Amino acid sequence: MTMMEFYCLTESEQINMLYRHGVYVGKRKSGKFAVLLYQLDSFYSEVFYYNYRRHIYKIRCSDSMNILDPYLEQIAVEHLVS
Amino acid sequence: MTKEATPKNIVFYADDDTDDLELVQDAFDNYANNVEVVTALNGLQAYSYLQSLGEDDPSPCLIILDVNMPLLNGKDVLKKVRSIPRFDTIPVVLFTTSSSPLDKEFARKYNAGFITKPLDVSQMEAIADLFIEHCSDEIKKNIRKHLL
Repeated sequence: MTMMEFYCLTESEQINMLYRHGVYVGKRKSGKFAVLLYQLDSFYSEVFYYNYRRHIYKIRCSDSMNILDPYLEQIAVEHLVS
Repeated sequence: MTKEATPKNIVFYADDDTDDLELVQDAFDNYANNVEVVTALNGLQAYSYLQSLGEDDPSPCLIILDVNMPLLNGKDVLKKVRSIPRFDTIPVVLFTTSSSPLDKEFARKYNAGFITKPLDVSQMEAIADLFIEHCSDEIKKNIRKHLL
């Protein structure tokens, strides 16, 4: 599935697609939102919740690796270099 | 004559994500009269708790394990739990963000259920019932009795 095809789905269809075929990558907080990141084929999709795993504020997609940055920043690597 | 209160059914849930712990505890709120949710924050804590249960301590009626946990992951906990005779038939569910066929196959191999963590309210509403479906018929009846 391409990102454009994904955007053409309803929110409910998008959620089902992520649930069945998405690969969970990580979780972060953004202001008052909890955000889950999934990989779906060749793009990434972020689900923003104002009520975690219940009520969705928005779903945002990107095919840029930059979307990974806030998730990578959370990984503690100090012990690897000490 | 006094009547002793019926002990609650213990659902044991291990997850390092405190949001998910809270979510599952909330999901069992409807069954709060009959179910007590006991939690652990990583796999090692989960295994230590289960291993430490004495003969007189009630066993959980259901064990829910996240897969990706620090110290000991959910799959390793499942393997270890199944090696303890007391827990070799207790219902266990792997509750995970994964929908990988390999993880599902692993769960099947160790006689455990597999539930992918929900993504929205429609999936969330059904989650407690999905968990309870993995319990024995007697426990299911016991848990749901106040709803009849």
